[in-house]
Amino acid sequence: MSGRRTGQVLLMLAGLLAWAVQFTIIYGATSTLCGREWADTTFLGIGLIHAVVLVSTFAALIVTALALAWSLRTFRRLNEQAPPADLFMTQAGALTSGLSLIAILWQGLPAFILPACA
Amino acid sequence: MNVPERPGSFAPPEPDLPNPLPRPEGEFEALERAWKAPRGLSFITAVNNTYVGLWYVGTAFLFFILAGILALIMRAQLAAPESDLVGHDLYNQLFTMHGTVMMFLFAVPAVEAASVYLLPNMQAARDLPFPRLSAYAFWAYFVGGLVFFGTIFFGLSPNGGWFMYPPLTGSKYSPAENADWWLLGIGFIEISAIAGAIEIIVGVMKTRAVGMSLDKLPVYSWAMLVFAVMIVIGFPAIILGTLLLEMERAFDWPFFIAERGGDPLLWQHLFWFFGHPEVYIIFLPATGMVSMIVPTMAQTPLVGYRLIVLALIATGFLSFGLWVHHMFATGLPKMSLSFFSAASTAVAVPSGIQVFAWIATIASGRMKLTTPSLFIIGFLFIFTLGGLTGVMVAMAPFDWQAHDSYFVVAHLHYVLIGGMVFPLFAAFYYWVPVASKRALSERLGRWVFGLMFLGVNVTFLPMHVTGLIGMPRRVYTYPVGMGWDALNLVSTIGAFMIAAGVAIFLVDLARNFRFASEDNAGNVWNAGTLEWLPNGNYATRSIPAVASRDPLWDQPNLPKDVEDGRYYLPGTATGGREALVTSPFDARPQYILQIPGPGWQPVLAAVFTAAFFLLLTVKFVFTSVICGVLAIGCVIWWLWETDPGPVRPPADIGGGVVIPVYVTGPMNHSWWAMIVLMVVSGMVFTCLIFSYLFLWLVNPGAWPPQGVDLPERLWPFMAGALYIVSAALIAYASRTLRGDDRRSPRSVPVLIAAALLFVAGASAADLWVQWRSGLSPSAHAYGAAVYAIVSLQIFFVLTTLVMGLYTIARWLAGRLDSVRRTTFDNTMLFWYYTVGQGLVGLAVVHGFPRLTGGL
Repeated sequence: MSGRRTGQVLLMLAGLLAWAVQFTIIYGATSTLCGREWADTTFLGIGLIHAVVLVSTFAALIVTALALAWSLRTFRRLNEQAPPADLFMTQAGALTSGLSLIAILWQGLPAFILPACA
Repeated sequence: MNVPERPGSFAPPEPDLPNPLPRPEGEFEALERAWKAPRGLSFITAVNNTYVGLWYVGTAFLFFILAGILALIMRAQLAAPESDLVGHDLYNQLFTMHGTVMMFLFAVPAVEAASVYLLPNMQAARDLPFPRLSAYAFWAYFVGGLVFFGTIFFGLSPNGGWFMYPPLTGSKYSPAENADWWLLGIGFIEISAIAGAIEIIVGVMKTRAVGMSLDKLPVYSWAMLVFAVMIVIGFPAIILGTLLLEMERAFDWPFFIAERGGDPLLWQHLFWFFGHPEVYIIFLPATGMVSMIVPTMAQTPLVGYRLIVLALIATGFLSFGLWVHHMFATGLPKMSLSFFSAASTAVAVPSGIQVFAWIATIASGRMKLTTPSLFIIGFLFIFTLGGLTGVMVAMAPFDWQAHDSYFVVAHLHYVLIGGMVFPLFAAFYYWVPVASKRALSERLGRWVFGLMFLGVNVTFLPMHVTGLIGMPRRVYTYPVGMGWDALNLVSTIGAFMIAAGVAIFLVDLARNFRFASEDNAGNVWNAGTLEWLPNGNYATRSIPAVASRDPLWDQPNLPKDVEDGRYYLPGTATGGREALVTSPFDARPQYILQIPGPGWQPVLAAVFTAAFFLLLTVKFVFTSVICGVLAIGCVIWWLWETDPGPVRPPADIGGGVVIPVYVTGPMNHSWWAMIVLMVVSGMVFTCLIFSYLFLWLVNPGAWPPQGVDLPERLWPFMAGALYIVSAALIAYASRTLRGDDRRSPRSVPVLIAAALLFVAGASAADLWVQWRSGLSPSAHAYGAAVYAIVSLQIFFVLTTLVMGLYTIARWLAGRLDSVRRTTFDNTMLFWYYTVGQGLVGLAVVHGFPRLTGGL
């Protein structure tokens, strides 16, 4: 698979990959920090676990938003003569990123509602 | 390209087809000869996807019936309170076997089996790229599955529930061999599933009709691609879990024993990391089937193709974030639970997208109420109800009330029967005309649907109430006066209604199914996809070029032109079996793949593999090892005939397209398979590292435990250096073989042999240094985890040794040179993986405890 094709696949999956990384970080961090009784540790006045969730959610949202913008930009540049597979991958990438934005936001929401290790 | 998609509205001008008429004399006969199935006893050595696929589907359906009979016995027992039809011990075996057989021997194999049959036809490929691997996967499953099921007749069946939670299934509370049957039997059948998944991934990506670019790939192919990737990611967790639990039972390595630093929750994590995606692993292929059947029944193209593909991929990802929702009652922190609760509700979105797309397709066409349509409507109704209760149990507070009650039994059956069994029956009625001389009966089909639909609702709808008023699952009886009597009786009546429906289906099969390799019933539904092209043992006479997702609707002459041999590769270029390999994105012809034909090797390899695992279960260790050696021998015998090299110059397949009959490197199909195998291996290793870290987390201040000294720092660096030198030698051998080096390639076997010594030395050194430090694998979970990492590495190094020696043997036999080097490339890839895994393992085992400083 060429480098261009690998890039297309990564762009198509970028939002879902960002969600997966965010999910791994927030669950891993919560388990580790609660397991070691570091829940009360704070960072800039925010509980460490909540800080990790917020930062990772924000980072994942930025990555996904960039992927969405990139997909839309590429799609606008492609004309009708472009290979159908390219058009399809770009459209699929935009749709995936759009859905992922909601999933990532939804995933980070519990940090605004619940205490860390109760 | 703006192509009108409604059937009949698009009639392109007759294009210049790749091959002219008349076709040369003898071309078709040579093609038939190459693909002829063996006769007599050798018939079982057939590897054609149409034969293996059908046996596979038949066997999976046999297990559906057998597990269904177990369910009927259970329902008969529960029909009345305080019944003594079945005792508690047998009841435990019944529910364990029912769940295990339905999930592992019916559901996953059934969808995999259907794809072995359907995928090549749907993509107009002559066969899957590794037909002998399919045959091996089938025979291993067939032999292993039947022996495993046979344990029920001897009271030896597993009895710890289909998810086999320790400590109940540990040697303390389950000392008999029942649990070992599950651990070794199912672990091995998972390996068969992974073999099938590798086949499917490479098949979908590399063997398609010309022009079938990703945007024209049938939704079923997309679904099977996502399915196979999910198996590759999810199944290693259960393989590792069974390995750890079996090591605990056999050697007393305490991974799950709390008093020695283990934790039973580790099993639950490993099991459900596989177990929840498993639900979608079963569901997605079924949705793929639905997406093929609905447009045909409505006689209109599928609405929202891109959204459905998005939904399949998104489900594949999100389903890996749900596993802890099976563990809501284990006392994990509420915020952790809420992450999984969020993902559990989020995954309903892509499922909803698909449901609305199907409804929109039905609304935009004119749905014919055939038997497949009825099963699709039944699927939409039942699965949607199961999905709604799924959202309910995704809420932790509700789940705490319903956990381990009959409410959950009702929910999971609505999801699994609605989401998989109904689409499968729709698929049976829809695709039987491809495989049989006659279609199944519409009249009987309506009876089958009616009885099954009513039966499912009569059985499982009351169970929601039974559960909410307190009946726990897995009880073999219940006292009078709990308010459960009438509800249970109704459920039992419903179960026998389902059985009656399945029985009529069997009658229908017996009356109407007549296997057809050539003269099938034809395109009885006026479908638009390629599996309905005229075909024979060789699949389609020529490989078509397609311009849309419904080529039979949009290219009206396609069936005749394909049958006349006017498209690509209408004969055999090498005189043997071949497939046309196409590029993964645009489906442009790349090369002609020479496919191996029938042979005893995969059959014998499968039988001996099954014997190895099953004999190990009953502690016939010596005989088991002999069978293991014989299995490896058969695999080597099988592989010896592969990697044929360029047996002729590049061939013209039509239309001036001249392509080689042999390629190496990343374009080669086996390179792709090896990459997928490396991902599987990487996932097993990742799960093991997760287990190590999990056990560290539950052992604060005891990692390593008191009295255990870490080996000196020098040793891991030495072992790491040996690994790196071995990889460098292989890289050098690769260059030498390619001819980049001025020296003679004769040094290649010497370089491989030297690399073997280094890689073996590295893992032996790591084992020895742990042993010398006095670390015991059974005293504490720390030692067990360290030795598990070291043992897994030794297994990979031993595999590398076999592959290295095999590569040297091919060199000595003149079957390996600078052009014919696929075998070397595969060994090289696996070697690099083994070295990488070894280095990471050393870093974790020696570096992590030092990094955390005993925290």
